[in-house]
Amino acid sequence: MTGGGPPFLSIAEAGRLIAAKKLSPVELTRAMLARIAAVDQQLNAFLLVSERQALAAARTAERAIAAGSRGPLLGIPVAYKDIYETAGVRTTAHSRILADNVPTEDAETVRRLNAAGTVMLGKLATHEFAIGGPAFDLPWPPARNPWDTRRFTGGSSSGSGAAVAAGLALGALGSDTGGSIRLPAAYCGIAGLKPTPGLVSRRGIIPLAPSLDTAGPMAWTAQDCAILLDALAGYDPLDPASVRGPPVSYARAVEAPLKGLRVGLVRRFYEHDVPGSPEVLQMMTRAAATLRGLGCRVEEASLPPVQEYNAVGRVIISAEAYALHEATLKSRLSEFSRVFRVRVLAGALIRAADYIAAQRRRTDLIAETARVFERFDVLIAPPTAGAAPLLTEQRPDDGFSRPLLTTVANVAAIPSLVVCGGFTATGLPLGLEIMGPAWADALVLRVGHQFEQAAGLRGRRPSI
Amino acid sequence: MAAQPASIVPTISPAEMQILISRAGLVLNPGQMADLVLAWRQVAGLIAAIPQGRKLADDMALTFRLPPPADPGPAARPAANSAARPVSPAAAKGSSKRASQASQAKARPSRSNATASPPKAKAKATPSRATAAAATAKAKAKAKTPSRRPASRRR
Repeated sequence: MTGGGPPFLSIAEAGRLIAAKKLSPVELTRAMLARIAAVDQQLNAFLLVSERQALAAARTAERAIAAGSRGPLLGIPVAYKDIYETAGVRTTAHSRILADNVPTEDAETVRRLNAAGTVMLGKLATHEFAIGGPAFDLPWPPARNPWDTRRFTGGSSSGSGAAVAAGLALGALGSDTGGSIRLPAAYCGIAGLKPTPGLVSRRGIIPLAPSLDTAGPMAWTAQDCAILLDALAGYDPLDPASVRGPPVSYARAVEAPLKGLRVGLVRRFYEHDVPGSPEVLQMMTRAAATLRGLGCRVEEASLPPVQEYNAVGRVIISAEAYALHEATLKSRLSEFSRVFRVRVLAGALIRAADYIAAQRRRTDLIAETARVFERFDVLIAPPTAGAAPLLTEQRPDDGFSRPLLTTVANVAAIPSLVVCGGFTATGLPLGLEIMGPAWADALVLRVGHQFEQAAGLRGRRPSI
Repeated sequence: MAAQPASIVPTISPAEMQILISRAGLVLNPGQMADLVLAWRQVAGLIAAIPQGRKLADDMALTFRLPPPADPGPAARPAANSAARPVSPAAAKGSSKRASQASQAKARPSRSNATASPPKAKAKATPSRATAAAATAKAKAKAKTPSRRPASRRR
């Protein structure tokens, strides 16, 4: 246990205690609900707490355990970014537009986690429709970083990052179109996986840009993400991007050692393209040393500039997001947040030829990135240039003007995991990003897990 | 391919912006218009950074791949000696030719593994009379086999 009682258990730890009947799902759920009641007023991580349903699900899990059922997620409390549709539970996308939206069906991912026996605690804050930044002109305030509540959580899975880091949920689901799982994972000091496109169903998740959208797990450790992915991954014939693949046990795969693995250090990303702070540079040096200590061969890798991936990703996101929201933007424009309008309206002016040029360049970038993996098993880089900025430092056009390191993996259609790579002198977490070739989700989780074990950074939680 | 520097941002006059907004069917107040101008300058810079000069043949990059058609089931599957198949008059007389077609059909790679399994050597597709008879029997037997169910979902 990382200290502080049941809310601070990892999923793996809680699962073992529940299976051994040393922890009851009802007791664990009550502890989580009590912590949410005590702390979330400062964090705004939850838009809705489904207390009654959570306790009912916890009792169901308890009865199942008493009847002999076992499973790594049985009785584990989780929460969902509020773009995941949940049957009978309001799903707003953190927007006035959907303030009264109550879906009749669960997203496929929610259905899978329910089937695995998880307990839904509620719905989590996001940027409006999963794009933009923290907005103060919406019915719900933006989430705040539990390491320093004056600071940004990263987004758009902002509530997911804050809730997991603060011990308000053992796991959460986020979505990632340009970095929306991995940025909050980095700023909040947790693990978050953007899987290979097609591995996890997106059916029932409110889309942002369908050609780049992915759904994935966020949790305290890479191992916990692997446990969640075991339940989430799999073919869904009703998601057109879903791919039928061989069954994989991600939780088992993370246990294998890393000796002999070829790790590419993408130095140009953080020394030239998006220069990192001195603490980020030190963190990368330490991370490389840790991986060498685990038997990896770490050498410099060369990829196209981050700016190229970003130009492609931003144009695709703007065009597709505008197309999805055009009707509502025309009829209810003033009801959206200013940051959403700034980020999405420009999509109305993107020509079809420019959108297609972006898609064609994306195909090149996918191939160029795939070639790098002929020399390396995984690539590492920081997901951000520094620790979480202050909320007051965020500008509505940040998504355009500042390239994101994380967008590389979305455009390249590869899996990417962020784990906690270190801390600043002031105690803010710094992320480490691990990217692998398409379908190497198990490998990036394995590198993340082994790194976490060796680095010993998982014993430290926010003091909130 | 190196990108152009993002600093080359096309300028746009208020009148030009108004035309674009009208074309898009948007009605904006002055504040929203100012926000859009701010965002558009950024997006125009990103568009300018994407290389445009590609060969026409590269358009294959935008094609999409349909999943292979499902097995139509025994009722809709053509018989081994179906008249719908194009058979030359000479071939119609001899069973060896029919067997050859069956053998060729078997050697043809599926859409999904076209690159992984190259077609078998041409010599193999012209069987002897003995192997042709065996191939005919095999093709008939295959036609009677019930369709294989799709692989079950993982979870």
